[in-house]
Amino acid sequence: MIKLQHIERCYPLAKEKFFYVLREINLEVQEGDFVSIMGPSGAGKSTLLHILGMHDHGWTGEYFLDGTATHHLKPKERATLRNKQIGFVFQQYHLLDDLTVYENLDIPLSYRRYRTSERAALVADMLDRFQIVGKKDLYPHQLSGGQQQLVGVARAIIARPKLLLADEPTGNLHSSQGEEIMELFRKLNNEGMTIVQVTHSERNASYGKRVVQLRDGWIVKGDQ
Amino acid sequence: MFEELWQDVRYGARILLKSPTYTGIAVAALALSIGANTAVFSAVNTLLLRPLPLKNLDQLVLSQALREGFDPYESSLLELQAYQERSHSFESIGAARQRSFNLIGRGEPERIRGASIMADYLTTLGVKPVLGRSFTAEDDRPGGAAVALISHSLWQKHFGGKADIIGETLNLEARTYTIIGVMPPGFDVPAAAAIWVPMQINIASLPLTQRAVPSCEVVARLRLGISLKQADAEAKSIARQLEQEFPQFRRGWTVKLLWLRQALLGDYAGRVNKALVALTGGVAFLLLICCANVANLQLARGIARTRELALRRALGASRSRLVRQLLTESMLLALLGGAGGLLLAHWILPLLAVINPVQGVSLAGFFHEFRIDNRVLIFAFCVTLATGVIFGLVPALKGTGEREVMPSLRQGDQRSASAPGHGWLNILIVAEIAVAMTLLVGGGLIVRSFNRLQRVDLGFRPDHLLTLKMVLPESKYSEHRQRVAFVNQVLERLKNLPGVVSAGTTTNIPLEREIAYDARFSVEGRSPRNPNDIPITSHRLVSPDYLKTLGVTLLKGRLIEETDRAGQPPVVVISEQLAREAWPGEDPLGKRIKRVRPGQDFPWMTVIGVIRDVKEDLFNYRVNRPVWYVPYAQLENNFPVNLVVRTSDDPSSVTTAIREATRAVDPDQPISDVMTMNQNLARVLVTERFSAILMSVLAAAGLLLAALGLYGVMAYSVSQRTTEIGVRVALGAQPIHVLRLILGQGAKLTLLGIAIGLTAAWGLTRLLASLLFEVNATDPATFVSISLLLVSIALVACFLPARRALAVDPMVALRYE
Repeated sequence: MIKLQHIERCYPLAKEKFFYVLREINLEVQEGDFVSIMGPSGAGKSTLLHILGMHDHGWTGEYFLDGTATHHLKPKERATLRNKQIGFVFQQYHLLDDLTVYENLDIPLSYRRYRTSERAALVADMLDRFQIVGKKDLYPHQLSGGQQQLVGVARAIIARPKLLLADEPTGNLHSSQGEEIMELFRKLNNEGMTIVQVTHSERNASYGKRVVQLRDGWIVKGDQ
Repeated sequence: MFEELWQDVRYGARILLKSPTYTGIAVAALALSIGANTAVFSAVNTLLLRPLPLKNLDQLVLSQALREGFDPYESSLLELQAYQERSHSFESIGAARQRSFNLIGRGEPERIRGASIMADYLTTLGVKPVLGRSFTAEDDRPGGAAVALISHSLWQKHFGGKADIIGETLNLEARTYTIIGVMPPGFDVPAAAAIWVPMQINIASLPLTQRAVPSCEVVARLRLGISLKQADAEAKSIARQLEQEFPQFRRGWTVKLLWLRQALLGDYAGRVNKALVALTGGVAFLLLICCANVANLQLARGIARTRELALRRALGASRSRLVRQLLTESMLLALLGGAGGLLLAHWILPLLAVINPVQGVSLAGFFHEFRIDNRVLIFAFCVTLATGVIFGLVPALKGTGEREVMPSLRQGDQRSASAPGHGWLNILIVAEIAVAMTLLVGGGLIVRSFNRLQRVDLGFRPDHLLTLKMVLPESKYSEHRQRVAFVNQVLERLKNLPGVVSAGTTTNIPLEREIAYDARFSVEGRSPRNPNDIPITSHRLVSPDYLKTLGVTLLKGRLIEETDRAGQPPVVVISEQLAREAWPGEDPLGKRIKRVRPGQDFPWMTVIGVIRDVKEDLFNYRVNRPVWYVPYAQLENNFPVNLVVRTSDDPSSVTTAIREATRAVDPDQPISDVMTMNQNLARVLVTERFSAILMSVLAAAGLLLAALGLYGVMAYSVSQRTTEIGVRVALGAQPIHVLRLILGQGAKLTLLGIAIGLTAAWGLTRLLASLLFEVNATDPATFVSISLLLVSIALVACFLPARRALAVDPMVALRYE
């Protein structure tokens, strides 16, 4: 599903000096896998996840997604590929404050130009599946953190991505809410969805199938 | 597609409603500038574009005679005849003479404006009566029937609009005229005429002296395909031929053709047109300032919405989709602003109509009706859409331009002075100040010029003066001695009225919008230095007390007295300018001067007094023109008589008493146009006042918007730099350092904007040169004072946010980290 070779990410410092966030990342993720990326703060976990999610374009190396060499694609082509293949869950939920739950779920479909009837069916299905039909007209600030993240996950998978990326999805939730989300991830993985999550929690990592450890931008345990 | 658009509109509306303060400020600024644009365009529409009740107006021209190439006069029958015989540019030509009639027998005697016209006049204008028929060649022949056309309003007022009006009679000047038609509503050309009678002359049989008198309004319809320039060139060539054929009458005279619409506005110098162009430029500048302001607000909000936009991109939105969404929000704002602008324009328009720049008296119903019609609505809509795109595009492109989603998402709502768009905020505020500077300098020059014009020495005291008009009918006052007797009796009665200080009569009230009488003069013992010079003076026939009543300043000699009556040696009081022209460097007292007219001999008049220059002629207000005052009794004439009365209290309080005193002398003699001298004078500078008021309002609005814009940017900057300021204070910065930091940033932007604005103003204000009076287009005083004003306002705008910066508590500020 994913193949990274010699991925590096750096930021310019003073004259011709660079600060490396990621060094020589080589990683393979098979379809149906559930990988947890772990490591201390500043290790480069989130950066790696955003590179996988094609939110970040300033890296070097090779990145194959489902056989497509994304490193040869232009940003616009990457965006198209991302819209087709990837869903993303954020630690801060990042729901759009001015949209209702229904509209938050609808917006990715609207950006992907789904037909109205199809969008309505998919949103209704997702509301039903996540048991949040009663909350469809509420705004994010009217939901608890767990409910917001539930919507965040629903929004991430509504366009039926093959790959779900999650950046510390339970970081802002208390433990029972966190477990609920992780159970959901396990269920999605069991249904065939490939998942890559960034987490600090050993417990959350245990829901996955394997762990990749990062430190100072290097993979110190895993697929190196 | 429509669904997506509808979705964008719904989200946009929700976002605008969520920030009522931002939305309110932006909509108010937009409403102000779109409203100003709409109001000024409606003035342009009313004065220059809207159809008038004349057929194919864009083919109609008026011929104007020019003495020495600049001094405007009406045309003569000589020119009319020459055009008819020699011109190839005109499809048809017509002529009219302004007249006024005393209407008797229908209630109180009334003086009514009218005209004697040739049959071709109305066909040239393309106007037909709505009832009855127009004049035929048979009506217009000498000795033809006494027939008349009446205006729609006269028909309504005096005949109650009755259908069988045709064949009714009117008693005008003691002659009975049969009404043959009623003209269309609103039509009153020339000179607010309400009654038209046929001219009934045979030009060829008139003596040359009569044909040469410039007393006709000649209108012509251009042939299709003939431009004004071509026709004007031909008319000038004909004028040169006339000069050669009749040098005794035509030497030094030329002609000029101008569009009839311009003439109807009374805009012979083209100032209304130029003023409207300047104002259109002014409102366009205001709109630019507003766009920059709202764009800045949008940019600042865009920076605050970085997370939202990044998230939308992360969720799959393409850049074009985000641009469209942001532009939809801008359009919603613009449409709200446009609606507010229309409302504002609706309120402003009656005020504009009050300060209307129109000097003409005809078609007042059309030229004074400033309203929002379909054309204005379309204009407002287009301006609104353009405004939405202009102020929305930069923020939309900047807000969606960043490709990296991750840093924005990570950054979240954190404050960052280095967020994208800050450079644009500065660029826009500098541009805004530069445009405001240009607008202010333009407004400053026009206001300064207007002040100079207002302070022009009139040569008399206009306060406590009442003016009234009378035309003595030829039928009743056929002999000059009868007219003199009437004038004397009326003045005698007026002098004894309580509240009246003195009273006099003149043949023209200073600066009135009527035909002003002039005379060519000859100085005893001298011939003109240049044979092409036409020495002309304003020609006023006045009663003994007139000059004292007017309040002129006697420089030497004496004024006209009761003893300067008929049969006594002819005398004249002259102005300084006439003294300078006739006897340069000499004392004119006791010297002799006389009126010259081919075929007529006038007596030599002895100069008995010299007065300071009096502004007598409306069209030469900006220059001093010679004027002489001749005793009314000493020179036979049938000019209208105007009463001028100086009062001790409010001049209008004696109106009724004056009417009664006049009626006691002649119960059939109507009085019209009762006005105070100040009311008369208010109409002199209408165009200049219109420009000055509007430009100063626009400039003030521009200044306010620019100051608000600068304040907004500085306040935003301070809020973004709270942490930095907190750190600085924690490190020991004193209030003065913080103040210097903030004011310095504002001052840099302001000074850069002023420098650019000064350069732009230096180039653009030259276009205003022809509108200015005694003020240079690059007047250093205006440039410097406006710069200082803008700096002061900018400092105030920066000081308020700076004060907030001074209040920053390092503990609180550093919590942002």
